Amino acid sequence: MKSFLVIPVRNVLRNRRRTAITLLVIVVGAMALMLSGGFFENSYGGLREQTIRNGLGHLQVLSEPFLKDGEERPLAQGLQDYRALQTRLEAMPHVVGTTGEVSFVGLVSNGEKSEAFLGRGVEPAREQQMGFTTRIKAGRALSLEEAALPDAEHEALLGVGLAGALKAKEGDLLTLLSTTTDGSLNGIDVKVVGLFTTGVKEFDDRAVKVKLGTAQALVGADRVTRVIVKLDETRHTDEVVAAINAAGLEAGGLKLRARSWSELATFYHQVVRMYDAIFLVLGVIITVLVVLSSSNTMMMAVLERVQEIGTLMALGARRWQVLGIFILEGLLVGSLGAALGLLMSFLAIQGINAANILLPPPPTFSSGIALKINFVPRLCLVVFVLVTLTQTLSALLPSIKAARLKIVDALRHV
Amino acid sequence: MTQPAIQLTDIVRDYQLGKTTVHAARGVSLEFQRGEFTALAGASGSGKTTLLNIIGCIDKPDAGRVRVDGQDVTDTPLHRLAGLRNRYFGFVFQTFNLVAVLDAYENVELPLVLGGVPARQRRERVEALLESVGLANHRHHRPQELSGGQRQRVAIARALVTEPLAVLADEPTANLDSKTGADILELMAALNASRGVTFIFSTHDHHIINRAARVIWLSDGTVREVPPAERAAAPSFRAAGVNS
Repeated sequence: MKSFLVIPVRNVLRNRRRTAITLLVIVVGAMALMLSGGFFENSYGGLREQTIRNGLGHLQVLSEPFLKDGEERPLAQGLQDYRALQTRLEAMPHVVGTTGEVSFVGLVSNGEKSEAFLGRGVEPAREQQMGFTTRIKAGRALSLEEAALPDAEHEALLGVGLAGALKAKEGDLLTLLSTTTDGSLNGIDVKVVGLFTTGVKEFDDRAVKVKLGTAQALVGADRVTRVIVKLDETRHTDEVVAAINAAGLEAGGLKLRARSWSELATFYHQVVRMYDAIFLVLGVIITVLVVLSSSNTMMMAVLERVQEIGTLMALGARRWQVLGIFILEGLLVGSLGAALGLLMSFLAIQGINAANILLPPPPTFSSGIALKINFVPRLCLVVFVLVTLTQTLSALLPSIKAARLKIVDALRHV
Repeated sequence: MTQPAIQLTDIVRDYQLGKTTVHAARGVSLEFQRGEFTALAGASGSGKTTLLNIIGCIDKPDAGRVRVDGQDVTDTPLHRLAGLRNRYFGFVFQTFNLVAVLDAYENVELPLVLGGVPARQRRERVEALLESVGLANHRHHRPQELSGGQRQRVAIARALVTEPLAVLADEPTANLDSKTGADILELMAALNASRGVTFIFSTHDHHIINRAARVIWLSDGTVREVPPAERAAAPSFRAAGVNS
């Protein structure tokens, strides 16, 4: 025997049923943390890429006055000479494409009923090149031709919610009304070519998408609100944002600033905060359950061996040595359980991902999402440490109780 | 006269048993010399175990002084006396108290491990003692694989392994049949004779009392030396509640 610490090791192996039950609790706890954490991580990633591909881009270049004060009238703080700006941006490392966009608001009318809308003027061909997707629910996407000529038909896509409110369908003619840059009111007739969804019901109830030329014709200005930039990989975002801001770009005398998707995606951060809070609550509940269950088991282990503790102390064991025996038991079971939990989590995640399970739509989402779970290596470390520490701490109170036993009382214990 | 191995002076110890206060020791003074083979005799509840516990520094007196090898340990908290217990005392319990997950060899080795004795020294001492108690061939048996007598032999080897000042045995034969009990007593006596180890054991068994070189009679928290002539008078013990 090299050390008295063989005692806890052998006790763990000796009480197999109790060890197995404790391990089961720990494994289930570790799996719950790994699976929920992996699900949230997958959701973050999915939502992030969806947000970027839905038209937000990895970053956007806007005028400083627009960012500071907004606009009283559409495109009043817009970017002139945006084509030259796009050319310059596209020459930068990691940039795979750019597209101009006009944001505008107004009323859309079918002649009988009017609804407020949030409009976006986009460049369909560039968006397609950049991999931005519009989820068409009926009809078709905007045609790829560059601009709507003055006498040509203007195309529009309507959000499914807005289309429902107006009882509009593919082929219908609607009128868009908006304020122009110089403050007057303008209207333009558009033909509905399709219905689309953003995935978020609130947006679908108000969204209108037209070609850039249509939007510019409506608001009466040859500018864009922003230039949206797509990168090769999301992880390069901060680097490119910093490079653009350091370059001191201007357009039409207005200083330009770049903003990352993370700065612009308030909805994404709301979702992340909500999921993080859920994960925290879940983590606390699981930790408490493991502590309660395990400390009960450890208390039983102490009670069963009160006489042994008395004997050890009579033979000369110090309090810290008695404490060490039970703490080590907790540590052993905890680390073994955590390792098993991680292994089982890995297998469970493979199984769940292979099963292609579809979940119902979460709040504010208009369509279901596939249940995919990431195996997150950094979460492994957190779960391993948390579960092992939790189990060890569960052993602490019973261990202290054991170490503080009076020897004569312990020896008398039957 | 040489310094006593253990010296108790005016020891008082009361404890509660339900609503009753038991006076386990009322001003007990005793001295034990090295190499003694002493029985603490008396009826159940007479305070034998309490006195052994106080001698072995696993319990504290309410009053009085305890000296071990000349060192006054009365005011030192029990948890700080772990090293002293390990160095000066070997314990043998009525219920053997072996660690279930350790085999015979490891149980004997345990006090040396706790005392930080180097491995080579441990091996030599443990093997010699297992040989002495006749369990050299059972070294890898765990307690549940040993008979009661064998377990108590392991416990005796464990008590002796640190080469203590005294072995304190609390009713060492009480859980054994008479033949095995007698064998254990013979073993203790032989080790006392061959190694000069001090044995202090509690008992209420008349046969065992008669094997002791010195007998201290406990009754109502007081002690009395029993001279050899008196010990032969078994009926007086019987009358006092000692088993025949």
